[in-house]
Amino acid sequence: MSWLSHLFRPKPALNSEELARLEAWRHLAHPAGSGLASSRFVVVDVETTGLNLARDRLIAIGAVAVNRGRIDLADSFEIILQQSAASGKDNILIHGIGGTAQTEGVPPVESLLRFLEFVGKDPLVAFHVTFDETMIKRALKQFLHFDFKHPWLDLAYVMPGFLPELANRHRALDDWTGHFHIRNYARHSALADALSTAQLFLAATQIARQKNIGHFKGLQDVEKAQRWISWAS
Amino acid sequence: MKPTQPNSLLLATLDHLRRFAPFDRMEREHLAWMAQRLSLAYYAKGEVILSPEMGVVSRFFVIKQGVVQGEQNVARAADADAWLELAEGECFPLGALLANRGVSSVYRAKRDTFCYELAAGDFHELARVSPPFQDFCTRRIASLLEQSKQVIQAQYSQSSSEQQSLSSPLSAIIRREPVTCAPDTPVRQVLETMHALGIGSMVVVEELPSPPAPPPAPARSVPAGFPPLRGDHGETGEGRTNSLSPLGGGVTPVGIFTLHDVLNRVALAGLDLDRPISSVMSQSLTTLPPQAFAYEAALEMAKHGFRHVLVTEGERLVGIISEKDLFTLQRVGLRQISAAIRNAADLDALKHAARDIRQLAHNMMAQGVAAEQLTQFISTLNDLLTARIIELACAASEGQCRVGFCWIALGSEGRFEQTLNTDQDNGIIFEVPAGMTADAVRADLLAVAKRINAALDACGFPLCKGDVMASNPQWCLSLEEWKETFSDWIDQGDPEALLQASIFFDFRALYGKAMLAESLHAWLGQRAAANPRFLHQMAANALRNRPPLGLVRDFVTGDGHTLDLKLNGITPFVDAARILSLAAGFGHTHSVQRLRLAAPRLNIPKAEVEGWIEAFLFIQLLRLRHQHDECLENREMDNRIDPDSLNDLDRRILKEAFRQARKLQARLALDYQL
Repeated sequence: MSWLSHLFRPKPALNSEELARLEAWRHLAHPAGSGLASSRFVVVDVETTGLNLARDRLIAIGAVAVNRGRIDLADSFEIILQQSAASGKDNILIHGIGGTAQTEGVPPVESLLRFLEFVGKDPLVAFHVTFDETMIKRALKQFLHFDFKHPWLDLAYVMPGFLPELANRHRALDDWTGHFHIRNYARHSALADALSTAQLFLAATQIARQKNIGHFKGLQDVEKAQRWISWAS
Repeated sequence: MKPTQPNSLLLATLDHLRRFAPFDRMEREHLAWMAQRLSLAYYAKGEVILSPEMGVVSRFFVIKQGVVQGEQNVARAADADAWLELAEGECFPLGALLANRGVSSVYRAKRDTFCYELAAGDFHELARVSPPFQDFCTRRIASLLEQSKQVIQAQYSQSSSEQQSLSSPLSAIIRREPVTCAPDTPVRQVLETMHALGIGSMVVVEELPSPPAPPPAPARSVPAGFPPLRGDHGETGEGRTNSLSPLGGGVTPVGIFTLHDVLNRVALAGLDLDRPISSVMSQSLTTLPPQAFAYEAALEMAKHGFRHVLVTEGERLVGIISEKDLFTLQRVGLRQISAAIRNAADLDALKHAARDIRQLAHNMMAQGVAAEQLTQFISTLNDLLTARIIELACAASEGQCRVGFCWIALGSEGRFEQTLNTDQDNGIIFEVPAGMTADAVRADLLAVAKRINAALDACGFPLCKGDVMASNPQWCLSLEEWKETFSDWIDQGDPEALLQASIFFDFRALYGKAMLAESLHAWLGQRAAANPRFLHQMAANALRNRPPLGLVRDFVTGDGHTLDLKLNGITPFVDAARILSLAAGFGHTHSVQRLRLAAPRLNIPKAEVEGWIEAFLFIQLLRLRHQHDECLENREMDNRIDPDSLNDLDRRILKEAFRQARKLQARLALDYQL
């Protein structure tokens, strides 16, 4: 029953400096506008110990910012969260982050603070948001003890919404990146996947422009509509 | 931005960029600096990336993936009037960025395309700090060519790394100081010295008079007797002090005596060994300056059949180069082949020599000899071979060769541009002796020419499909008949005449009375330059053959996804060179010479001409390599290559070379208002 004792273990407190950084992030101003050609968005991808949303742990976060319709390569983020024990071999084979790298990663509190500081208050974008969002939310809850409520956009719904004729054949990230000839320099590395997803986001932005959608809200509407279609069909 | 530790994305970007020129040569530090400043943008298929209306260019683009095409004619941009296609790893727009102006063409994404982009300010900063980048931006084609040459050398030279390149200056090859003696030295003493030192040659010299007044002492100490400026040739001079008298102004060669001469001139002739060496030495000397290249020495030896070339600075002897010095490691020596040709008594020996010529061409490719010299070598040897065949044929004839005639090479052979696979293009100019008719002379010569053509065929120069050969009565003409024929073509200017002119106007003398060819050249130069209408027609005709740039993927390809390097690659340059040269009234047939000589007369900047020449020579080199590979695989040789079979670098240079061809054609179009 080790998971029970884990559940009732007292939460480790943040030190004062960490608390100050968290407070600073909380008080950041929200971006004034959300124009696709004028704002900053953060495209994110995570690696975990497995696919179980309730139990598996967050191992790595990769993020790439899209500024005014372009990806600034230097405005990118990559971190490996320190694990008390390395994940299993099968799992390591997927993301390639070895046992030593896992146990020598950056302590979780520090990792997550850096992530928040990288994101700021800019909207997040991912492919299959539920997974990335849940894993990040849970980690923030566990280590920083707060509820991460943030605007997200799911390209897994936006793309089929924009290109319904491809929706049946294109379901996974690889299908969509393949359609736009986007290559991935290291599939299943969080940052490389974030870059591919960010390139897909640029393509989506381009289609949005043709459809006279100029704001993030417009993309969220496309996502919402597509969720209804998927649910209904 | 504070300097950050590069994350895996920046590292992956570095790795990606490093697969392409010029990034492969840049310092890691500069590349990292650049990667941190790159942004990545997306352009949907058909989207305009840059256009003249956008004003001064603010960014430098490197294609991450996709294809971008440049369209020269803005008004017809949609008509696929592409003049260039850029693919992964390629950069644009260099010219506009360097000149701080707008682009002159529309750049459009031909497929979904992602570009790395660098702000113009950062681009200029990078060009300032990184020499390879600067070099690339300013001398794009030249620096690409240099890299390609190195790749080729690496490919071919597995074992010949110690072999000295034939492109080294002679000053770097001279191995030992020349052993010399005075003209009055007895033959016996010369032989004893040669035997004692184990040397094959003795240079006979005379003291040069001391300079009338010693020049002011130079700032740095130059050993007395050293030729002036010696240290400036970039050689070490180590162990190469020379044996000249330190007091005099040096010595000048007056003759040479070699072991080869001992047999004929001393032993067999029963010469009195007390006679002076001057009585048996060879007085005809071949000399070259120390700055001359090794291949020039090799050519001299091949042409004249000598084994030694003297290196002189002015009149002063500075060294001697022997055949052995040049080809110690080479399996088939240039001079051995030329000697074999010279001494060949029958067709079999010549066939063997022809095979050796091809083998030598391969060896020379291994040494990284450039296309210009390589084709020159092949032409020189093929000329010798042809001359020997004619000699033998005439010797075997029954007096049919008595009249004065000149065997002329036409087409590519006439332009010294022979590759490994060249069919015959030849003709005869003859004199009509008093009391004979042209037809009678022709009848005699045709019989011999037929045998010569057949012998050339047996040696690997296939008979001309178009029957442009000396055995065709049409092309075995008297000087007057040639002038009439050429006049007709110039006056008619119809497509047929233009085609003939493109083959026949590139004639040069190969054997026999060269005077006949020279007077025909002089006459043609005046006749053509005086007829602008004809040149105009030639130019219009040349412009019909466009370089195969850009519609389907990178290149416009023909049969089976191939490019014809001769028709599409070489011909645009050759045609333009011919027209420029004829317009300037020059009698040269070598395309490179034609371009170099005609350019100043026509006010074409030197850099522009050199770009054309380099492009032309690169395509020649590709042809040679291609034919060589086909030869190794026992396939029939042709000029067709599949651009996909080239490596990235060569494919890009080839594209650049075609762009140069387009520039040259644009120049022609401008000059002739076409």
